[in-house]
Amino acid sequence: MVSVLTIPLIAIFVIVAILLLFRPNSGLFLRWRNVRRKAKQILLEDALKHLFHKENANGEPSIQSVSKALQLSEDKALLLVSIILDEDLAVWEGNKLRLTASGRLAALKTLRAHRLWERYLADKTGFSEDEWHARADRAEHILSASDADALSAQLSHPTYDPHGDPIPSASGEMAKLHAIPLTTADIHQSFEIVHLEDEPPAIYAQLVAAELYPGMKLEISERTQQQVRFWTNGDEHHLPTHVAGNIYVLPFPDKRTARDIPKLRLADLKPGQRGKVVALSPACRGLERRRMMDLGILPGTVIRAEFVSAGGDPVAYRIREALIALRQEQARLITIQPLEEKNDS
Amino acid sequence: MTAEFKPASTAACETCPVHQSAYLMKLGVDMQNWDYAVALAGNPNTGKSTIFNALTGLKQHTGNWPGKTVTRAEGGFEHAGLNFKVVDLPGTYSLLSTTVDEEIARDFILFGQPDVTVVVVDVTRLERNLNLVLQILEITDRAVICLNLMDEAARHGLKIAHRSLARDLGVPVVPTTARSGEGLDHLVRTIGEVASGKIKYSPHRIQNLSPALTSALDRLSVHIENLYPALPNARWVAMRLLDGDERITQALEQGELGHLSPAATNEPQAIQNLESQPA
Amino acid sequence: MEKEKTLTPSELLTMAEDLRWQIGGNIHEHLVEGIYTDASRIADRVVTGERPKFDLDRAIDRLVTSRVWGIPIMILLFTLVFWITISGANIPSDFLASILIGKIYPAIKEIAFSIGTPWWLVGILIDGMYLSTAWVISVMLPPMAIFFPLFTLLEDFGYLPRVAFNLDNLFKKSGAHGKQALSMMMGFGCNAAGVIATRIIDSPRERLIAIITNNFALCNGRWPTMILLAVIFIGALVPAHLAGMISALAVVSVTLLGVLITFVMNWLLSRSILRGEASAFSLELPPYRPPRILQTIYTSLIDRTAYVLWRAVVFAMPAGAAIWLVANLTIGDLSLAEHIINLLNPVAVLIGLNGVILFAYMLAIPANEIVIPTVLMLTVLTAGVQGAGAGVLYELDSQAGTFELLTLGGWSLLTAVNTMLFTLAHNPCSTTIYTIYKETGSVKWTAIATLLPLGVGVGLTFGLTQVWRLVEAWL
Repeated sequence: MVSVLTIPLIAIFVIVAILLLFRPNSGLFLRWRNVRRKAKQILLEDALKHLFHKENANGEPSIQSVSKALQLSEDKALLLVSIILDEDLAVWEGNKLRLTASGRLAALKTLRAHRLWERYLADKTGFSEDEWHARADRAEHILSASDADALSAQLSHPTYDPHGDPIPSASGEMAKLHAIPLTTADIHQSFEIVHLEDEPPAIYAQLVAAELYPGMKLEISERTQQQVRFWTNGDEHHLPTHVAGNIYVLPFPDKRTARDIPKLRLADLKPGQRGKVVALSPACRGLERRRMMDLGILPGTVIRAEFVSAGGDPVAYRIREALIALRQEQARLITIQPLEEKNDS
Repeated sequence: MTAEFKPASTAACETCPVHQSAYLMKLGVDMQNWDYAVALAGNPNTGKSTIFNALTGLKQHTGNWPGKTVTRAEGGFEHAGLNFKVVDLPGTYSLLSTTVDEEIARDFILFGQPDVTVVVVDVTRLERNLNLVLQILEITDRAVICLNLMDEAARHGLKIAHRSLARDLGVPVVPTTARSGEGLDHLVRTIGEVASGKIKYSPHRIQNLSPALTSALDRLSVHIENLYPALPNARWVAMRLLDGDERITQALEQGELGHLSPAATNEPQAIQNLESQPA
Repeated sequence: MEKEKTLTPSELLTMAEDLRWQIGGNIHEHLVEGIYTDASRIADRVVTGERPKFDLDRAIDRLVTSRVWGIPIMILLFTLVFWITISGANIPSDFLASILIGKIYPAIKEIAFSIGTPWWLVGILIDGMYLSTAWVISVMLPPMAIFFPLFTLLEDFGYLPRVAFNLDNLFKKSGAHGKQALSMMMGFGCNAAGVIATRIIDSPRERLIAIITNNFALCNGRWPTMILLAVIFIGALVPAHLAGMISALAVVSVTLLGVLITFVMNWLLSRSILRGEASAFSLELPPYRPPRILQTIYTSLIDRTAYVLWRAVVFAMPAGAAIWLVANLTIGDLSLAEHIINLLNPVAVLIGLNGVILFAYMLAIPANEIVIPTVLMLTVLTAGVQGAGAGVLYELDSQAGTFELLTLGGWSLLTAVNTMLFTLAHNPCSTTIYTIYKETGSVKWTAIATLLPLGVGVGLTFGLTQVWRLVEAWL
C-alpha cells in the first residue's frame, strides 16, 4: 500500500546518502581520494626507515634491498628511490644509498612515532604484544610531529619502547644501545634483557610465549651451535640459536644470579601461606601495574593468601591489612619468596 | 576562632582563607557566603561518606564533577559563627596515577587550595591509608587526619597510639567513630583551628627515597622555589615533574602554579589569568 | 650556598628532563616504594596489639565464599530481594493507579471541560501528558522504592563485593569483570540505574562492556509486559492447574535468555570493538559493617529512586503528548498513527510482529511501562473496535478481555512469543540512552549500546519467525 508518508521518506534517504558520499570534510568520496594520496607518502616513509635500519646494521642499502623490504617490484622501488634522491633525502655512495641529514631526521621522526605508539599501546590499551608492531606500523604514518610530542607528554616522556628500543627525542637524538645478542654473551655471567627484536613477528611471538621481557635478569648455562640454555627468575629456558639471537642483553653486575631468584609466584600460595614480594614482572604494565603498586604490592611487601572464591578463581590476599582479590593471571606476575607460616591462625 | 575574627579580603594576612575561589568556581563550587573550603579525601571504604553526612547533616547536595561522571557531594556546617563548605572528593588509593578520580582529587587539593583537607583514614588498614596521607601532606600543610573506625580497631584488638602518629605526621590527628558520632566534635574544632591558620604545621615529608632521587629533588625544588617563592609545595611539584606528570608540566608552562599562594588569592589580575586558562 | 639564578619554566622542564635521564630506572616506582617505606615505618610504630583468635569477618567470608554454600546463599538472598520487591510493590502500585488514574484523571478532565478548555488541549495535556506520567509513576515507583534500598543495604553490609568475587571467574571467561554481576542485578530494577552502577567497575574496557550489555537485564518497566503475555498466551496453552507454573517458567526462561545473551555479547565485544580498551582487574573486599538502615533508606530513595523517577517523568510527559497526537491527528481519512502502522506492517510481518507493536515500541521509547497500554490503544484504533479507549492509553481489567482484543488485532502465539523476545532485546528506553551518553560521554558507544540490543532483537524474532513458518508449512 502506498502511504502518504512514502514520498517524504524516500526523499530523506536520498539526501542522507548524498550527504554521506560528498560531505565537504569527511565524505566517503573525499576520503577515498585522500587514501590514494597518502599511499605514496607511506611508501616513502617506509623506505627511509628501511635505509636507516640497514645503515645502522652496517648493511648495504640498495634498490634491491628496498624492493625486498617493502615488497615492491624493482621498477616501483626504482621509482621510489629516485623520488628520495630528488628530494635530497639520500645520496649514492658507491653502490650504497646513504641518508642525508634531512633524510635521517625524517626516518627518526617516523621511528619516534612508531616507538611512542608501541609504548602507548603497551601502557594505555588492552591490545596484546603481538599486535603492537603492526598497529604502530600504521600509526607511524598518521601521527604528525606535534601529535607525537603530545603523545610523549601524555605518556610522561618515555625513553624506551616496550621492546627496549630507545625512543628518539623530538630533535632526533636517541640513546645508543650497546646491547649484544644473547648468542655472543658469556656463559655463567648475569645479564639483563634490554631489547627484544620484534621482527620477524613469528620469532617475536616465540619470545613472548616464553614470557621474556626487557628488564628481566638472566644467566646463560649452556650454549651450543643449535641452542642456548639460560635461567630467568628461576625458570630454565632453551631456545634455538636463531631465536635467541633476537634477544639483546647487557651485563648486569649482581651477586645473586638469576638462578638463585626463587621460582615461586604469588599464585602458588595456598590459603594460609605467606610470601614476601620479590618483583613485579615487567609483563604487568600500565594501569594494572600502577593499580597494584597503589595497593601496596611492592618488593618487600608480605602477602598472605586468605581464601578462594566460590568460582575457583580470584583469590583474596591480605595485603597490608586489606583484603584484595587478584585473578590467577595477575598473581602469576608477582614473584615471591615464601615465608614460614605464622602459627596465629 | 573568636568573634572578632572575620576573614578579611586583604592580601597576605595570617589568618585569611587560602582557598582559590576562582578555581573552585570553575569546578562548580561556589564559595560566596562561605568562609572556608574543606576537602574530604580518603581511600575507598573508610567511612568517608559517613563522616561527610555527620559533618553536614541533611544540608548537602550531590551532582557530578563538571564534565566527569564522578559523583560529587557538597554540604556545609557552621562552627563558631563561621560557615564551612565541605566537598567530598572521590575515594582514591593514591594521587600519583592518572585515573579520573585521582586527577579530580589531586587538582582540587593542589589548585583549589582548600583551607583544610581532612583525610579520612581506616585505622584498621593504616599502612595502606598512609600512602595517600603522605602524598597529601606533600601538597598541603593544612590537613587534619581523621582516624576513623576506631571501634573496628578495638574489635580487632588493635591499639592505636594516635598522639605518636600526630607527632610523626606533623599535623593534627583526631580519632573518630563516625557511626556513633564519637570524636566528631573534636574533628569540627580541629578543622576550625587549622582553617584559621593560627598554628603553622610542618607536616611529614617523604624520607625514604633513593639518594639519586633525593638529590635531584633538592636541586629541582630550589629552582622551583626561586621561580615561585610563595608556592607551598615546591618539592612535590619537583617530584611530579621528574615523574613526567603531564598536568603539572602544563601548569608550570602556563604559569598556573604562580597563582598558588595565599597572597595571590584576591588579586583580580591573578583571578582573571586563571579564568582565561582552558579547562 | 649561593643563590642560583632564577630559571624560566621551560628551563626548569629541560632540567627535569636531564635529571630524569641521570636518575635512570623507573622514577614512578622509586617514588611509590619510598612512600610506602615511610608508611610502613610509621604504621609499625603506631599500631600495636594482636588480632583475636576468632575473627567474625573471616568466618562470614568462609561461609559466603565457600564452594558449596557460596552460590546457594547468593541465589537465596537475591530471590528474597526480588520476592519482597514484587510482592511488596503490588499493593502500593494498585493503590497509586486507583488514585492517579481511577480518581484524579476523570476528575481533572471534568474540571477542564467545565471551564471550557478546548478538546484538543484537554487531549494533549490530560489524556496525553498526565495519563502517561501517571502510568509510569504507578508502575515504576513502588518496586524501585523497595528494590533500591534493599540493594543498598546489601551493599553497605559488604556482601555485594563478595558476589562479584564469587562470580568473577564466570564473567572473566566472557571477558568481563565480576562487578558486572552487580550492575546487571541493578539493571533488573532499572537499566538507567544499572548503567550508573557500572561506575564501580574501575577498568575502562569492562565498564564499557557492562554499560553496553546492561539492557539485556530485564528491567522493572518490562516485567509487567512479560508476565501479562506469558499468562494470557502461554499459560493458556496448558490445563488451568499448570497455567501458573508454565507462564512463570516462560518469564524465567526469557530472563535467563537475557543473561545468556549478556555473556555472548560480553565475549563478542571484548574480542572485537573493545579489544583495545585498557583493562585492569582490582577488587577490594571491605570489612563487613552493620548497615545503618534509616540512613540507607533515605539516601537510596534520594539518590537512586528519585533520580530515575525524575528522568522517567521528564521523558514520559512529551511522549504522552506525542502518543495522543498521532492517535488523534488525521491525514485524509486515517489517523497519523494508522498511516505509520501501515507503513511499518511489511517490516513487522518479517519479524513476526505487527505494525501496531512496532509502532508502540517507538512511541514507548521514553518508558517501557506504557508499551501494553499503547498497543491496546492502537489496536482499538486500527481494529475499529467501538467503545472506551479509542485514542487514549488504557488497560483492560480482565485478562480475558485483553486476550480477546489482541486476537482481534491479529495476534497469534507466535506474535506473543516474538513480542516477549522483542521486549527483552530492543533499544533501551530514552532515560537509559541519555544516561549511557552521560556516562560514556561518547556518541559512538551510546549508538552501539542502543543499536546492538535492537539488532539482537530483530535477529531473534526474524529467526524464530522464519523457522516457525517453515515448521507450520511442513506440518
